[in-house]
Amino acid sequence: MSNMIMKTPASIDELVMCLKQSDDNTYLLSGGTDLIIKLRNSKIYEGTLIDLTGIDDLKQIKYNAEYIKIGAAATFNQITSNTMLIKHAKCLVQASSQIGSTQIRNAATLGGNIANAFAGADAIPALIALDAMVTILKSDKTTYTKPIDEIIKGSRKNTLYKDEAIIEISIPIANDNCISAFAKLGSRSRVTISKLNIAATAQVKDGTIEAVKIVLGALGTKAFRALSVEKAIENKDISEALYTAFENELVKQVDEAIPNRSSLGYKREAIRGLAEDVYFDLFGSMVRKVKCHD
Amino acid sequence: MILDFNVNGRDYSIEADARARLIDVLREDLGLTGTKEGCGEGECGACTVIIDGLAVNSCLVMAHQTRGKRILTVESLKQDGELDSLQKSFINNGAVQCGYCTPGMLMSCKALLMRNPNPTEHEIREAIEGNLCRCTGYVKIINAVKEVVKESKAPSEEDHHE
Ligand SMILES: Cc1cc2nc3c(=O)[nH]c(=O)nc-3n(C[C@H](O)[C@H](O)[C@H](O)COP(=O)(O)OP(=O)(O)OC[C@H]3O[C@@H](n4cnc5c(N)ncnc54)[C@H](O)[C@@H]3O)c2cc1C
Ligand code: FES
Ligand code: FES
Repeated sequence: MSNMIMKTPASIDELVMCLKQSDDNTYLLSGGTDLIIKLRNSKIYEGTLIDLTGIDDLKQIKYNAEYIKIGAAATFNQITSNTMLIKHAKCLVQASSQIGSTQIRNAATLGGNIANAFAGADAIPALIALDAMVTILKSDKTTYTKPIDEIIKGSRKNTLYKDEAIIEISIPIANDNCISAFAKLGSRSRVTISKLNIAATAQVKDGTIEAVKIVLGALGTKAFRALSVEKAIENKDISEALYTAFENELVKQVDEAIPNRSSLGYKREAIRGLAEDVYFDLFGSMVRKVKCHD
Repeated sequence: MILDFNVNGRDYSIEADARARLIDVLREDLGLTGTKEGCGEGECGACTVIIDGLAVNSCLVMAHQTRGKRILTVESLKQDGELDSLQKSFINNGAVQCGYCTPGMLMSCKALLMRNPNPTEHEIREAIEGNLCRCTGYVKIINAVKEVVKESKAPSEEDHHE
């Protein structure tokens, strides 16, 4: 007989009861698109699975005047069709729509993407750019909320304890001048999903970039803000010359992030393509498109 | 552990191991071997089934996660001995060669048509982006879906012209 057991909480209260009994061999199971592969590859056939997909509360996307609140077990398919997110969190919707395939997006969840903490995960840079906050449930039934960046420790490592679960991701609703964009490089194949991705948010007023956040993924052990790139375009007027500065600064950032790796030459070229995608997605209507790269 | 679910319109209550994936239970416990396992890692789509109306890789879902759900496998397409229009169209358009991808391909296309009876070519391509086919080059598959869409639309268009 198998020594694996599956717990199927139907409410947050039942989840709390499960978390109280968590040990090192307990695994939270959402869409399963990372975990099932991991368990099989590591030949883990013992332990406890806690299935989060039976908890309706965790699958809702709600909002109030200040935040859009995404349940941790909401799938990427739900995210891409949510009108509030399309309006206020375009970069997250763009990232979600490019994850895996239709079958993966129908199962894979936002909470799973964060908890898995893969350096090339697509939702994470978008969430950092959007200043998302992550709410975590503890086994004593209390919760705490932290910025997304503080949850991700490094490649495949998050800061959660065994008796904790991500329950909600909150995205502040910014004013209407706030725009965002996401672009990634990589084929559909899972082995190559990590190549490179970029998410950006910006506040634009009268043709001037008043505030901007640029986040790069898959370059280090975790996604990070490219502060020098932000500085290069902040408080500047949108123009073709500014695009060149943006692109050059991004290339520099890639050089710094991966000084001696064999993938450098390739990523150096790739970032130019992503720079163009993101810049013109954000500001395209405000600047004449510069000539394309060959 | 008992698993209650509905497969191809029939209610089941079976004893299933907590480690079993949906594909294991479909093939081994229910004998529904139309669903194929290719990669076992979400890459190939050969294992695609429809769960509550959505195409999902049955190699990446635990069987017990489907408790209370309605599952459709490729075996559901044939009704009263007659192939589904999608299956006929696959055959007529040469969209089946070695056939390994076909069950998954059919279920991805079926899920699309259930939600959207009139998809664009882009939508068809998106629906099957998770299904690998080494033989057909996809064009014949896309044509097969287009033909079903066209045929299902034909009567209403005539109405329109009258
Ligand atoms: C073919 C394929 C293609 C893919 N393509 C992409 C891609 O393009 N971009 C991308 O970013 N990812 C991709 N992925 C990876 C994967 O689909 C995502 O990371 C997905 O978001 C994981 O979510 P899940 O719900 O399936 O997580 P699960 O597999 O259920 O869980 C993942 C991890 O998170 C933990 N966990 C799950 N939920 C919670 C929670 N609420 N609180 C705390 N811990 C939790 C689990 O214990 C596990 O360690 C791909 C995967 C496959 C198989
Ligand atoms: S066997 Fe499930 S996707 Fe390949
Ligand atoms: S027909 Fe052979 S893989 Fe598609």
